[in-house]
Amino acid sequence: MFKLFKKDLILFFHDHRSVILAFLLPVILITLFAFAYGSIGSHNGRSEPVQLLVADLDQTKYSKEIIFKLDSLEDIRITFSEATNAKELVMKGKYACAMIVYKGFQDALEAGNATPIELLYDRSREMEIGILQLNLIRVLMSSAGEIIAKKNIEKYLREQFPSLIKSGRDAILDTAVKDSSSMPAIKWTSIVGEKNDTKLGLIQSVAGTAILMLLFGVAGVGTSILEEKENGTIDRLLVSPLKGNTILFGKMFFAFFISILQLTAMFLFAWLALNLDLSTNMAALILMIFATSFAVSSIGIFLAAIARTRQQAQSLSTIVILVMSAIGGSMIPLFIMPSVLQKIAFLSVNYWGIQGFYDVFWRALPLTAILPKILVLMSIGFIMTLASIQLFKRRIMKWH
Amino acid sequence: MIQVSSVSKSFGNIKAVKNVSFSIERGEIFGILGPNGAGKSTIVNILSTLVRSDQGDVIMDGINIRDHGDAVKLIIGVVPQEIALYDELSAVGNLMFWGGLYRIPKSELRANVQKTLEIVDLVNRKDDQIKTFSGGMKRRINIACSLLHQPKILLLDEPTVGVDPQNRNHIFELIEKLHQEGMTIIYTTHYMEEAERFCEKIAIIDVGQIIAQGTLKELRKFSGVKDLLTIKLADASHVTIDRITSENPSFRFDSASSSLKVECGNVGNDISLVVGRIQKSGGVIDRISTQGTNLEAVYLKLTGKELRD
Repeated sequence: MFKLFKKDLILFFHDHRSVILAFLLPVILITLFAFAYGSIGSHNGRSEPVQLLVADLDQTKYSKEIIFKLDSLEDIRITFSEATNAKELVMKGKYACAMIVYKGFQDALEAGNATPIELLYDRSREMEIGILQLNLIRVLMSSAGEIIAKKNIEKYLREQFPSLIKSGRDAILDTAVKDSSSMPAIKWTSIVGEKNDTKLGLIQSVAGTAILMLLFGVAGVGTSILEEKENGTIDRLLVSPLKGNTILFGKMFFAFFISILQLTAMFLFAWLALNLDLSTNMAALILMIFATSFAVSSIGIFLAAIARTRQQAQSLSTIVILVMSAIGGSMIPLFIMPSVLQKIAFLSVNYWGIQGFYDVFWRALPLTAILPKILVLMSIGFIMTLASIQLFKRRIMKWH
Repeated sequence: MIQVSSVSKSFGNIKAVKNVSFSIERGEIFGILGPNGAGKSTIVNILSTLVRSDQGDVIMDGINIRDHGDAVKLIIGVVPQEIALYDELSAVGNLMFWGGLYRIPKSELRANVQKTLEIVDLVNRKDDQIKTFSGGMKRRINIACSLLHQPKILLLDEPTVGVDPQNRNHIFELIEKLHQEGMTIIYTTHYMEEAERFCEKIAIIDVGQIIAQGTLKELRKFSGVKDLLTIKLADASHVTIDRITSENPSFRFDSASSSLKVECGNVGNDISLVVGRIQKSGGVIDRISTQGTNLEAVYLKLTGKELRD
């Protein structure tokens, strides 16, 4: 028994693929998930602060005071913006929420009327919204609520007890507002995803899973080049009238075609079985499917081009795909991740794909607003294709 | 038809082919004989445009391979050492695919496929997947795939490796048929009997260098290896043997087989002379056997080692 154990142990450690899959990959994924769930990489054990866009149209003492108090919280970081720009940024997914303090805010507070304050938010980023909600309620209760209560009581004392001296009135006011639970009315307005109102989770799961599975699918196509190398058919192709690049482009076109087919099938399934409305922006959806397929298929071919053997390509693909999918939002929605990871997510093709599909289905952005993401995906495709051609010439073709 | 001049190729520090030159006439079968790792496949890869030589020139049917590799591809058929087929496709599927790469019109290609299947005697298995074929049948389809565009030159890189005798004979018959049709064939092998059987000219290659080339007769002459007569005497007593060997110093007695061994330039011409000398020395011949000079002996003489070492 010990001899068998020893033999298997030796074989295991000689098989680099098994070792990588058994040890390195879990370590990488654990690190990424730990980052994602915020247990490491955050400041003093706290999560990264949530970015809140603020447009202060009132520009008064009270509006500035409340904004200052919000900014002093560790969980919120304020960025000032114009009201229209703030709304656009939330709709484009750049920020989770924008707070618009309308003109007349101070007057309304002093008059004890409903305060003109509105929060425009993206429901897809519920974790950030939750943090904001909690803090906003706390600050506004202790600031605005206090002001409103004071004003109301002061008005009442003046009317009912006009002879009461100021110091006496202040003492009564301080005591009265201590436990006040009055609160200005905040208007919460969801401005993103209204067309596919209940399909937020569906969009995440379809786009995230589709790109993850697409990567695995095209990695298989990529490794078929190495399979052809190993069984000699690539040499036979190379002595035929076909050019070396034609063989590579043939493989790429196949991977591209399969990717388009796979993505289309997944979205059709989501439409037929899960009621995902595909008609929100058909042109953008088609372009996104093309761009994502191109980027993903070129990555699959590139992974095969940098590997020397099929086994090496399989190991490499597994690691790269899982890591890219983890940081790019295929496994965990991006908004859950701390900002450190959100900042590096752009390195992943999954990020551009998923965000593009969010733009189409959730944010319902016009094609022009989605084009930058499409261009990024196309650029990834072109760069990977050029790199693959060079590697293919050097590694697969012997004409050197 | 083929002119190879001073061709060399290195892979890193390894010199795979060193200053190789040979020429092949139209319709000739040229054998490249050598052990595994001698450089045979590298030469085939250079001739098939797969590998570019570091120096030297290859002219095939008047076309310089270095400058016009694409044109050369159209006149050559390459049978790789590996069975380079798609297992999941049928025999016809493979033939149609590989032939289709040469832009042959579909109707013509279909006719070529049928004809080639008949040549390799696999018509009855044409629709079966390759993965269901035996090793020998795969080898035959492997060759068939290289014939569909009717090349002028066929490069066969060890086409009978791992093939059973029956399938090997099929392949031999196929090669002989192609030879009769006038195809120029380059055949690499490490089997002596194959080179002896087909090749009109043979190049013996060892450690990347051609150490001898020519017809079998030329190689025999070059190596100095002679035919051998083995004579069993009716009376193999010491007295008789001593008398014969002392009167004929070139006759050698082999005690293991209790027979006389006599090397001669041409066994047909020399046999009567040898018999006469033995009888003159008082010997009575029981049996005579002859052994012509074979390639194995030539190879052994030239390289100092056996081919299958």
